[in-house]
Amino acid sequence: MEKALLLKAEIREHTGSKDAKKLRKDGRIPAIVYGHKQKPVAISLDRNTMVEGLHHGRRLMDVQIGRKKEKMIVKDLQYDYLGKDVIHVDLMRVDVTETVKVAVPVELKGVAKGTHEGGIIEECTDHLEIECKATDIPESVVVSVKEINVGDTLHAGDIELPDGVKLVSPPEMLLVTCHLVAAARTTEELEKETPVSPEVIGEVKEAGEEPSGQKQE
Amino acid sequence: MAMMPKRVKFRKSQRGTMKGNASRSNFVAFGEYGLQALEGSWITARTIEAGRVAATHFLHREGKVYIRLFPHKPVSSKPLETRMGKGKGEPEFWVAIVRPGQVCFEIGGVNEVVAKQALVRVAHKMPIKCRFVRRRHSL
Repeated sequence: MEKALLLKAEIREHTGSKDAKKLRKDGRIPAIVYGHKQKPVAISLDRNTMVEGLHHGRRLMDVQIGRKKEKMIVKDLQYDYLGKDVIHVDLMRVDVTETVKVAVPVELKGVAKGTHEGGIIEECTDHLEIECKATDIPESVVVSVKEINVGDTLHAGDIELPDGVKLVSPPEMLLVTCHLVAAARTTEELEKETPVSPEVIGEVKEAGEEPSGQKQE
Repeated sequence: MAMMPKRVKFRKSQRGTMKGNASRSNFVAFGEYGLQALEGSWITARTIEAGRVAATHFLHREGKVYIRLFPHKPVSSKPLETRMGKGKGEPEFWVAIVRPGQVCFEIGGVNEVVAKQALVRVAHKMPIKCRFVRRRHSL
């Protein structure tokens, strides 16, 4: 069972980008709380506590707003343009007994057989949508790729999920493939394929001729 | 000529501006590791090709290289010793507009050490500061 992290939140009286920037300067992260048919509340959280919790894979949090303590899950995160810092958090109110739909990361384990034959493992999807109790959200879904040969694929439906966890993503969703690497093309080969100059759509080559971009009827 | 569009609507384009940061293509989406631009610049098709060659040569048919840039913008210039006027010059080369945060190259199917070594070689070909980034698996 996932252990809940305790966060002390402050209600944001002023919202908007200017105030959010000020908050970030003071070491806090602006956040929003919604769910359970209640009004959304704009809050701010301590950055260090929040980021540390996220690094440890915590999804369930006890958030104290004023004197009220509520259980919430992290629904969404926004990052800055470099993907370094968290700039906004979406929190959703949950009940301990209720089931929630969340996206969890897929973790590949092992060395595939196909890699010994010159193939490479390509991870097509790195998240799976699952449905489970708010207290049982797994940190990640571990997928063993040991038995994958060249040409084999692994779909979302093939994965064994922990007890009490239901798959929401389509079972035919492709997760992992193993394929041979095509030989890298040389610059000369690429040059042969590319035209000297691109075709201009709708350009009339000479007077009386059809435009180059249109088909002749 | 390296990469360039196959069909265009207009042969020549105005210079345009490079305001702001990358709001798309700013995370690793295909491979496991990537090279992220920390500055804005025009990257020519020749530079992109040089980066591709550097990465594929280092990887020796291991792993897969993804190029997240495409030179959509034509740059024109006037011939040498030509007087000003007489209209805009002819397109000389093609560039990709790169804003800070854009992931330019990605590598998958190799371990982190090899990917880092390959991307360092690519970064040396780039005219801008870059950093090595990993795919974000958490939310």
